[in-house]
Amino acid sequence: MTEFFDPLAWLILLPLFWASGAFLLGPTRGARLAIVGVAAQLWLAIDLAVKVGDGGTAIRHAVGGWGAPLGIDLIADGLAAAMLLLTHMVALPLLLYARGYFAADASVARYFWPLSGFLLAGLNALFLAADLFNLYVTLEIVGLAAVGLVAAGGNATQIAAGLRYLFATLIGSGMYLLGVALIYGAYGTVSIATLTPLINASAASAVWIAAALMLLGLMLKTALFPFHYWLPPAHGGAPAPVSALLSALVVKASFYLILRLWLGPFAPLTGTIAWLPALLGSAAILWGSWQAIRAVRLKMLVAYSTIAQLGYLFLIFPLLGPDGLALQAGGMQVVAHGLAKAAMFAAAGAMIHVTGRDAVADVAGVASRMPVSLFAFALAGVTLMGLPPSGGFLAKWLLIDAALTQGQWWLVAVIIAGGLLAAIYVFRVLRQAFLVPAQGERRHLSHRAPPLLEWTAFTLAAASVLLGLRGVDLLRLLAVGSGP
Amino acid sequence: MKRAAIIIFAALFAFVLIVAMLELSALPSPKVNLPAAVAANMAASGVEHPVTAVLLNFRGYDTLLEIAVLLLVLLVVLAVSPREGKAPAASHEPVLQVLARVAVPVMLLAAVYLLWAGAHRPGGAFQAGAVLGAAAVLLHLAGLLPGWNAPRLFMRAGLAGGFLVFLVVASALLANGALLHFPPEFAGALILLIEAGLTVSLGLILAGLFLFLA
Repeated sequence: MTEFFDPLAWLILLPLFWASGAFLLGPTRGARLAIVGVAAQLWLAIDLAVKVGDGGTAIRHAVGGWGAPLGIDLIADGLAAAMLLLTHMVALPLLLYARGYFAADASVARYFWPLSGFLLAGLNALFLAADLFNLYVTLEIVGLAAVGLVAAGGNATQIAAGLRYLFATLIGSGMYLLGVALIYGAYGTVSIATLTPLINASAASAVWIAAALMLLGLMLKTALFPFHYWLPPAHGGAPAPVSALLSALVVKASFYLILRLWLGPFAPLTGTIAWLPALLGSAAILWGSWQAIRAVRLKMLVAYSTIAQLGYLFLIFPLLGPDGLALQAGGMQVVAHGLAKAAMFAAAGAMIHVTGRDAVADVAGVASRMPVSLFAFALAGVTLMGLPPSGGFLAKWLLIDAALTQGQWWLVAVIIAGGLLAAIYVFRVLRQAFLVPAQGERRHLSHRAPPLLEWTAFTLAAASVLLGLRGVDLLRLLAVGSGP
Repeated sequence: MKRAAIIIFAALFAFVLIVAMLELSALPSPKVNLPAAVAANMAASGVEHPVTAVLLNFRGYDTLLEIAVLLLVLLVVLAVSPREGKAPAASHEPVLQVLARVAVPVMLLAAVYLLWAGAHRPGGAFQAGAVLGAAAVLLHLAGLLPGWNAPRLFMRAGLAGGFLVFLVVASALLANGALLHFPPEFAGALILLIEAGLTVSLGLILAGLFLFLA
């Protein structure tokens, strides 16, 4: 029996309520409802994180009162609580940002508010789920809401990017569902807690096939190199608040699920192939950074940087051990990159809003006109490069520490090279903004970005850097396991 | 070359799946016997048909999220579809129109029956909603119902209403200890209420997926 205001249930119910409410209010309406709702959710997420962190054990909610395997359980352990906290720390500033961003031309975002509500509900439900089929449903909510946000109100390129994204996400969840069906056939249950000991005891070759299908499908959804082809057009082509939500949160959801499966039910199967995701992750770091260095458009640069930063997440797989160091490094990187990338897309969106053009060359001379946005971009860059005291520094430090402990020198080399490459693409933008004077008629552009856009981007960037100072609390939260 | 590679890959994939299926059918029956657990708890579920009991009670949370998926799909269709200026219905085949006028009332009746039957035999909101949606599509194809423009308040309430009823019931039951924790004595009535709302909304959503794009 749980209390009525159980944060686990309300973190899923609240966004569903305000998403439906925003739909009832009609196209372009619902911004205030959404912002109030997300503020309440942030409060619930903080409440949950404090409860999990202080209690030191996972919190459960048996939906319907049945309990797994007949019913469906919700479980919040340290990792889930940290993801929920990140989701709302990113979502609240971004929804405020979106309100300013869409104020000029509301018709572009007729259904932005209900779609983002469903997106957040899907994310929260995914982080709390403990049942393979329930996870599939949440994956579909997240994927479809994200496709809708990319394609909404769109011109032909946006719809094309949305369609390509739709195919990628549907293939990914289709593979996942096929795997779930095989597992149900073998064990007669889809509850993760019930499955884990059963797979530990004996795994038929069908279970290997299922694991391969599910993990590959989720890697496609996470845009791990070489499955990244859909990400740059989708994230680079969407409106800035949407790009920020997708890059900061949506790709992390499928990564979170890979990590859950890898550590939980599939742990007996994955020991021998842990080098594979790390190899792909290394390739992602090098390839993504290289494409970001070459990108002509500013938002494409930021989108390719996402591919590179996602690569770091996959480096942790060969290092996962009983000390939990690699898991903490991964969690820290998820949170730090989420905040930094949201800030970077928001700052880029503000600059494009003022200059009216989306090319790296067009940020020339922006330094004098929008110092706050540029400062936000630079701070986010500090996190991506991994300079102290940022959260990115802490993540990379923990990762190098874990790699050295286990003698994986090549990972250390990749991590350091990735940091240097990130410095190149971040400084490419900063150099253009500070040192190159604006050309011709563009010098006289007088209108400024709305302060709301600049300051929300700055808040996110500052949070990503200051995270390093409060890192110990986050690491303590991440260490709370789901337990027996 | 590319086509050959795809065919070979698809054949290999099919082969692997067939091997997996054969292996699964040879395994001893699984340790977790969910059908037995469902049968043991039927008395407390509020309905007599196991599929309805699983969908609305034991795994009602999945169904709640699935309705959210359907509403979400409709939202995406609305977000990308052109707003106004739907062409009027095209066909003017008199035979088809007479047939549609005869069939649609029967389909409405069948939908209500399916909804009611769901409690004790195969049926329920999904099937009833599908029949309602099909009736609307039939009317459109017969030239009796024009394509729909962007929904007004009344229509939006119809589209989201079923989901909202489900959501309100699910949250209210938190007072009973957990999300969707039906008290056995009211479970039957509450499930019927949810299914009735869902029938209307699912019918409108399924019809809308066709008619908002028509």
